[in-house]
Amino acid sequence: MEFNRRQVLKLAGLGLTATATPGLLAACSNGKPAAGDGSVKFEGWDYEATLVQQNLDKFTQASNIKVNYTPITSAQYVQKVVAEFTGGGGPDALYVYDDSLAAWVEGEYLQPIDGLPGVDEVYSSIFPGNAEAMTYQGKRYGLPYYTDSNCLIYNAEILSKAGFSKPPASLEELESQAAKIKSMGLLEHPIGLPAQLSDTWWAWVWGLVFASGGDLFDNQQAPIMNTTDTVTKDVLTWLQNAANKSKVLDPASLQLLPVPVDNAMKANRYAFTIGARYALRDYNDASKSKAAGKMKMALVPSLDGKVHGTISNTRMYGLAKDTEVKDDAFKLLTYLGGLDANKQPNTAKFWFQERGLGFAYKAMAKDADVLASLKKFADPAIYAHLAEIARPRNVLGVAWYTEFETEMHKVVQGVLSNQVQPSAAVASLAQSAETLKKKYS
Amino acid sequence: MSVLTERRPLGDTAKAWALNAPAITVITLLVAYPIGYSFYVSLQRNNLKRPKAKRFIGLDNYKALFSDDAFLSALKVSAVFVVVVLGLTVVLALILALVLNERFRGRGLLLSLALLPWAMPGVVNGLMWRTIFDAKTGALNGLMLQLGLIDSYQAWLTSSTGAFLFTALAQVWNTLPFSVIILLAGLSTIPSELYDAATVDRAGAFRRFTQVTVPWLLHPLLIVLILETMNAFRAFDTIYVLTGGGPGDATTTIALLDVQTVLTFTDFGLGSAYAWVITAITLIISVGYIGLLYRKGNFEV
Repeated sequence: MEFNRRQVLKLAGLGLTATATPGLLAACSNGKPAAGDGSVKFEGWDYEATLVQQNLDKFTQASNIKVNYTPITSAQYVQKVVAEFTGGGGPDALYVYDDSLAAWVEGEYLQPIDGLPGVDEVYSSIFPGNAEAMTYQGKRYGLPYYTDSNCLIYNAEILSKAGFSKPPASLEELESQAAKIKSMGLLEHPIGLPAQLSDTWWAWVWGLVFASGGDLFDNQQAPIMNTTDTVTKDVLTWLQNAANKSKVLDPASLQLLPVPVDNAMKANRYAFTIGARYALRDYNDASKSKAAGKMKMALVPSLDGKVHGTISNTRMYGLAKDTEVKDDAFKLLTYLGGLDANKQPNTAKFWFQERGLGFAYKAMAKDADVLASLKKFADPAIYAHLAEIARPRNVLGVAWYTEFETEMHKVVQGVLSNQVQPSAAVASLAQSAETLKKKYS
Repeated sequence: MSVLTERRPLGDTAKAWALNAPAITVITLLVAYPIGYSFYVSLQRNNLKRPKAKRFIGLDNYKALFSDDAFLSALKVSAVFVVVVLGLTVVLALILALVLNERFRGRGLLLSLALLPWAMPGVVNGLMWRTIFDAKTGALNGLMLQLGLIDSYQAWLTSSTGAFLFTALAQVWNTLPFSVIILLAGLSTIPSELYDAATVDRAGAFRRFTQVTVPWLLHPLLIVLILETMNAFRAFDTIYVLTGGGPGDATTTIALLDVQTVLTFTDFGLGSAYAWVITAITLIISVGYIGLLYRKGNFEV
């Protein structure tokens, strides 16, 4: 059979069409692609992806359940997961920020895990704040990945040079210690905070408010920072003074994301910051930090120096609503965030020992291995006390939380740069919350 | 016996459609459909956090913009940003194009250097300028300190004015080469006889510039104005990396607000409305430019 040029072109065109069409249709379809091999599709942000994979390999070896793990860049994690679930190709099990929980439940991405094996036991073994953060409208949605709370991190050597033997308990004391360090010429700006606008939450603002027993919202998520609760306004006033009058707070903070603040702390360029407890592990690691051995943690200073509290966050493992491999996916969740056959939180312990990630399990605070590890970078008593007094943001359960957090960053920046007065700032925050409530009603 | 049928050749119009059909199909699928769909989405209450609340609301998203403080503030910031970026770009591009239009030693090297920023993606541009403006280790601080212009390192991006101007500067640096190329192309088409004649008529350098160069450059200038206005209105990556929109709202442009609304707040309805407003504004401005400049240009480029 002979083909002329026209016939060859026709056949080639048909062949190309036949090849491209299923691909195009698949790309346009809204259906969830079937894994086919029964594996569990698991996604998380890309923190220590190699270690995660190693841990998952152990799970597969022990259970014979295949896991198809995809790490996603942290900066795009929420957006990509939302896009996947919207397009119908979401994972079976995944990491969930407590910040995203309400929205993802409302978006029908997640299913509750109440009644599944071992869940009650896990929830009775963890700190109440973590249990609260993983519960939405009375239903439980996650098993704990890690948790942390905020503390004051200080450079004991710089404080010692300035004649201080203990860290500040009140904000007034913090300012006066920093002023002394400044006046002695030890540091131009002893306090550094990450205050550049970004998509992540500003734990230090919440931490400062919670430290003094205040809150921005009541339990019905109504804003109180402008009415019954004056702590936010007082904290903002302190921040404004520290940045613009005593100038102990670095004005460059407005240009700093968390990593540059970490680097500055590790280079002895700041005496104080407010950050997560697990940061101390890096700060006191001689291979990474010039300040190793000098960095200590303390309770977040409060307005009166007597009341103390702090903020906690919880990262969890969640179960997708539409998973077709629910049993296997939940077994994976249990392996990662639950208790093993010996009633031990194996993976939580693994993460603490490998990377110092905070744990939600109360019993781990007394575990000998954990304590030995903890003593290398922090005071176990303060570490445990912070876990006890930490509480989550009570506004996480509203769909407009992300918008409010973003607005709060701008307002706090205005206070730090002396463009907005604290009274106007709290009024603006309250107004924003009311507007958002109305918009989402 | 085989029957030979004579094929009638396709007409020119049919051929044109046939040849363009693949491109039209691709453009329809990849460009026209998403654009049309985004308009449809802009007529909906469509927030991925609340799929149950999704519904058609007509022009409500657009009506809400008039009382949306964040939008009005971003619109104002964008307008000033466009004016500053456009003004600096046109003036600097014109100067650079006039210089590069002359014959001198090292012109090729200067031309290559002038075009270099254009090859840089916006995010990389933002990262580079963030390093330069860094309050602790920035090259700008180092240079100014060595020149004795400042006593200590400054946090350049922490004041509203500083952040705005430095962000605009970073944007200009990134987009300037494109304008230079367009204007340079326009300059190269001006017949040298016109300058000779003007010189014979005893016209000085300034008059030669205003009477010969500028009229010939009106059309290239029109292209520069339209495209750079669109670029400045859509500016996102450099600003996002450099300031994130801060301090406060100082550098929150409408494009930044749009990306935040869609990707961070997952409000696709409102975000699409923002996008369509940006499109409408740039369209109106472009039509204004054309009305103002097109008829005044006497020469085709």
